[in-house]
Amino acid sequence: MGKGAKVRGSKGPRVEAPKVRAAACEDTSEAAPRTASLVTASLAPLRGQAVLTGEQLDSFVSNRAGQAGWSAKLMTTPRRFAAAFLLCGAIVVAASARQQTPAEQPPAGEPVPASQTAPRSPRNANYEIDARLDDDAKSIKGRETIRWRNITDQSTSELQLHLYWNAWRDQESTWLRERRMAGLFRPPPADAWSSMDVTALRLRDSSGDMRDATKEMRFIAPDDGNARDTTVMSVPLGRSVAPNQEVEIELEWTARIPRPFARTGWVGDYYFIAQWFPKLGVLESQGWNTHQFHAATEFYSDFGVYDVRLTLPRRFVVGASGQQTARTDNADGTTTHRYQGEDIHDFAWTASPSFVDLSKRFESPTLPPVVIRLLLQSERRGQADRYFAIISATLQRYGEWFGAYPYPNLTVVDPAFQSDSDGMEYPTLVTGRSRWLTPDSSQTPEGTTAHEVGHQWWYGIVATNEFEHAWMDEGINTYATARVLEEAKNPNRVESRYFGGFIPWSFRDIPFTRVDNDRLAGYRLNAESDAPWTPTFQYWPSTAAIISYNKTALWLHTLEQRLGWPTMQKILSIYFERWKFKHPKPADFFDVVREVTGQGHYWFFDEVYRSSNTFDYGVQEFRSERLDDKTFTTTVVVRRYGEATFPVGVVTTFDDGQHVKETWNGQERRAVYVYQRSAKGATVQVDPGHVLLLDVAYTNNSRTLSPRGQQASLKWSLKWMVWLQDLMLTYGFFV
Amino acid sequence: MGSSSRQRATGHGRQGWRDGWTRVLGAPAIVAGVFAMTFLLALPLSIMLRGALSAHLGSSLAAETAATGVNYDWWQEFTAQATDLGTTFSPSIVGFAAVLDNVSGVIDARTPIAPIATALALYMTGWAFLSGGIIDRYARQRPIRAHGFFAASGGYFFRFLRLAAFAGLVYWWLFAYVHPWLFDDQFDNLTRGLSVERTAFLIRGGFYAVFGALLVATNLVVDYAKVRIVVEDRRSVFGALSASLRFIRHHGRQVFALYALNTLTFLAVLALWALMAPGAGGAGLSMWLGFLIAQLYIGARLALKLQFMASQIALFQANLAHAAYLAAPAPVWPESPAAEAIR
Repeated sequence: MGKGAKVRGSKGPRVEAPKVRAAACEDTSEAAPRTASLVTASLAPLRGQAVLTGEQLDSFVSNRAGQAGWSAKLMTTPRRFAAAFLLCGAIVVAASARQQTPAEQPPAGEPVPASQTAPRSPRNANYEIDARLDDDAKSIKGRETIRWRNITDQSTSELQLHLYWNAWRDQESTWLRERRMAGLFRPPPADAWSSMDVTALRLRDSSGDMRDATKEMRFIAPDDGNARDTTVMSVPLGRSVAPNQEVEIELEWTARIPRPFARTGWVGDYYFIAQWFPKLGVLESQGWNTHQFHAATEFYSDFGVYDVRLTLPRRFVVGASGQQTARTDNADGTTTHRYQGEDIHDFAWTASPSFVDLSKRFESPTLPPVVIRLLLQSERRGQADRYFAIISATLQRYGEWFGAYPYPNLTVVDPAFQSDSDGMEYPTLVTGRSRWLTPDSSQTPEGTTAHEVGHQWWYGIVATNEFEHAWMDEGINTYATARVLEEAKNPNRVESRYFGGFIPWSFRDIPFTRVDNDRLAGYRLNAESDAPWTPTFQYWPSTAAIISYNKTALWLHTLEQRLGWPTMQKILSIYFERWKFKHPKPADFFDVVREVTGQGHYWFFDEVYRSSNTFDYGVQEFRSERLDDKTFTTTVVVRRYGEATFPVGVVTTFDDGQHVKETWNGQERRAVYVYQRSAKGATVQVDPGHVLLLDVAYTNNSRTLSPRGQQASLKWSLKWMVWLQDLMLTYGFFV
Repeated sequence: MGSSSRQRATGHGRQGWRDGWTRVLGAPAIVAGVFAMTFLLALPLSIMLRGALSAHLGSSLAAETAATGVNYDWWQEFTAQATDLGTTFSPSIVGFAAVLDNVSGVIDARTPIAPIATALALYMTGWAFLSGGIIDRYARQRPIRAHGFFAASGGYFFRFLRLAAFAGLVYWWLFAYVHPWLFDDQFDNLTRGLSVERTAFLIRGGFYAVFGALLVATNLVVDYAKVRIVVEDRRSVFGALSASLRFIRHHGRQVFALYALNTLTFLAVLALWALMAPGAGGAGLSMWLGFLIAQLYIGARLALKLQFMASQIALFQANLAHAAYLAAPAPVWPESPAAEAIR
């Protein structure tokens, strides 16, 4: 079977184990233990690909063996030998896996087996949802059955659920109070508000009967005691649910869909629907972790299986998390779309009759294929190639760096204008961000799309608590996305927009670099806003993103510069592999860093994570004076202007081309170096390699005795003068 | 009135356009003078900005890349700590982006910061002063020397100030009330349910056209009022405004044909600048060459502004007066005190 051959999945026969010659599985003792390791380690990215071509095999063997640093002997093992052992492993994998070719969709109405893959997550929060969209009333009526299993070591006698849309019910929700406090809110028109009302709730009791518990629900406000906030609901169970016991509840609810609020809502005939159903919080050993919806936070929930039926008017093109498994046209002019997703912790969907629906298959020799579905706005049809290119580049790089994308499909939505649904992530469904006019050299749509696709790893699969530790998904992802864009987006230029933001202009002389994508500029403005260890929901709303995204990306990039990319990649790939489909906490990440590097780096994390101090190293003084006919005395004073500390190099160069490198621990307020040499001092640089990317003022890190500041300032002031003259002429219109 | 009248209107418009350029090119001292005014008013603020940039760069090695190309890290660091003038130091100053930024800033009613606003106010006052002499010179179509020019400028200045006050009120009303009504209220109402950006842009473009038309209409009335004040030596500003309205009403096609021609010329200059505008560049000779090219562009814009004035004068004189007609006599330099002493 050759590359790209279809594997029949659940619709047809089960995947056939590839037939191999008996000789392929013969044990060749010398290489067997190593080869077994090769197979085990190699199988992870091969999962889902039942056959290998010779070319793939060669590439794979050399790639993996090279990465692991295995012996040259194994790396030169004859091709047939390596094929044999890998095929043996493939048989094991294939025999236990059932695959459905992502590109195939079952005909309307045909049922799909409940489980298509072996569980990868605890699957302790499973949802069956039946919902109908009322396009005229802009509302959703839904019914769901939640089967929840207590996977902690503590009993509980209640369930807690999120009703996120109540955050925009009125101005007294915690979300809106925080927005108003930060000056970020303008009251919307009357039709913009939303609500989520649970109209019925039934619990399956110990006898197996469903008991009406509608009147027992109550709202709670565990974070701030705001009695007007109704985004968290508690449901007493009437009994204790011990570890490993299950609970089943049924809810009926109605929800009014908002005009776009925080990436969900409708505009025109476009819907983006997220956080739209009553969703369980997460029970942890310390109790329920169900935060109110805050202005600075996103979400947190458990993994499970989602089986969702959405009924909408037939004219809508629908995209959703998971895979579409059925589509039924109803007599009343509606269509019911059934989507199922396994090992996901959220479910979002979108609908519009105007989508341009495109698909492409991502294929890579080292990674499993993924069917990419792109739902594009028709006015941006010309950007399809750009979208597909960056999606593929992200799947490729994240897959190679951290671990393969485990789902068979990914839907990317190009959001409608004014939908406010751009730049958001949900399991197997993300939204990009673009404009009608966008130059090829700007990173719209690539920047946001890469970031959101990347969230499939950091948030979707490694499912951290976004209420408390947003840096763990946003920051790690921002760091990784910057790396993707550096490699995959070329050219990448700074862009400005004019005339109400509609007309772009790309500056061919100003590249948008990786550090720009780490968002140093934003960080610099609000570096001391909050310490990252503070729970995210307590960050100041208007600067929360700067700490979660920017500061984290910058310190991760700094760590990479210190440790090197191979070590950093190892840290992240081990962290991903160990914590995928789980809920790690900050200590879990730091533990991996310690494990891989052999050092705790506590001093570093104390500064970047547990503190809001800023870094600023600079040159306080630099002079070089003639001592006698043959000697110059060069004095260098470097200073720590900020309160945070970091070891830095100090390099002094001399007129004869020689240089001296010092290493300063950066702890004291200043360090003084005096050199007596035959050559005059020329330049001095603190942290010449710009390892410490968090330094808020890098300009003061260097000095030269032949400065070009006058030339630089003259050049730029002349350009500015032309701008001012042009502005004067523009105002001259009025006289 | 049929196609022949349209042809006559266009013909007069074309003739006015040609005549205007003749008058502008025949008085190069005026072009040089307004260029000097533009240059000298921009210079002090540029020097101030240069000082701020130089202070921030100090003797840092960052200046090396800032001089030879673009050091965007340093740039962002500078603007993060900048106040006043420094806050306007953005990538929009580079090349043709400056034109987009400035036109967009005006049409989107962006308020300039205080130092810039002061410079703009001085600039517009300067134009108000010089306009009298410029119109007088173009109308007479013969040299009037510096003393005649400034005498005319001074003579008409207070009438032009009164006219500017009236025009200022109208522009203020347009920007304070009409602009927000169009671009905040109506644009929001019309685009609220829109999910297609292209449609929203067309609506905004339509509003730009409407608002632009109101600005142009005001501009035309004020321009012809100035012409009538000088050419007919009118003392009453309101009289001049109503006379201007009458002229535009009776010669509308010619007036708009001429305005359209001048606008097309303006767009051609902008297009040329878009092609030629230097980028970031380096220091040294290329910097000066780029600056020179930019000053040629500024000079062309100024010549075009003068062309608007000159061609409107030519059109007016062709219709209601005759070439070189002015009601007021040419200003005469008063006798020198020394001459009195001889007597």
